[in-house]
Amino acid sequence: MKRSYIGVLLLSAVLFLNIIFTQYMVHQYFYENYVNTLIFCGLNIVMFPIAFFLYKKTKKA
Amino acid sequence: MKERNNKIPFPEDNYTHNINRDNERKLDRRGFMKTLVGAAGVFAVSSLPWGAVAAKELMGLGEKEYPHKKIADLNNLPIGDAVEFKFPGEHDDAILIRLGEEKFVAYQNACTHLRCPVFWVKEQGEMVCPCHHGKFDVETGAPTAGPPRRPLPEIQVEVNQGAVYAVRVKRYEA
Repeated sequence: MKRSYIGVLLLSAVLFLNIIFTQYMVHQYFYENYVNTLIFCGLNIVMFPIAFFLYKKTKKA
Repeated sequence: MKERNNKIPFPEDNYTHNINRDNERKLDRRGFMKTLVGAAGVFAVSSLPWGAVAAKELMGLGEKEYPHKKIADLNNLPIGDAVEFKFPGEHDDAILIRLGEEKFVAYQNACTHLRCPVFWVKEQGEMVCPCHHGKFDVETGAPTAGPPRRPLPEIQVEVNQGAVYAVRVKRYEA
């Protein structure tokens, strides 16, 4: 059965972005740029519903 | 095993109905995607404390204002002299130094090396810790010599009606 791996690729991209955002969040915290910390925290949180949505869309593909 | 009809009621290639244990340990495409979604969830949850602490800093909860405490009258404190006081607690030794007509600096004077009391040497114009000859810059509280590596915590002061008051302790800045 031929599988589409587009979902795997998209979710891997989400994981990659998660890592980047977390890195930025921690660094901006220690640089005391607290607004940037909040922005990256929000982005990190938003990535979860996106990941869930992507999974729902592509699990049957 | 004659009774076995060898008919499978539904496809058994999944985790919960896998009587023959086919591919039991195989991480298939969908399982891998589930793992990635779970990882995104873990990232999201672990971001929360950072956001909370950052929000707390932004709202200024970390900078606490203590009840103003009178340190000394201006008349009793000539330029270049220092006076010791306690702020914010009973046992938090601090020192106020008058550098100019309107210029005051105050620090918690427990040395950042081993907490000996740092005192003001007027003739040399620097703050000295007697225990291991640590020296601090009087303008900023930064360590200039000896074992201490961190600055003295600065206390913000306010001149009001001919007297000097301690207002708050500044945040520690590396």
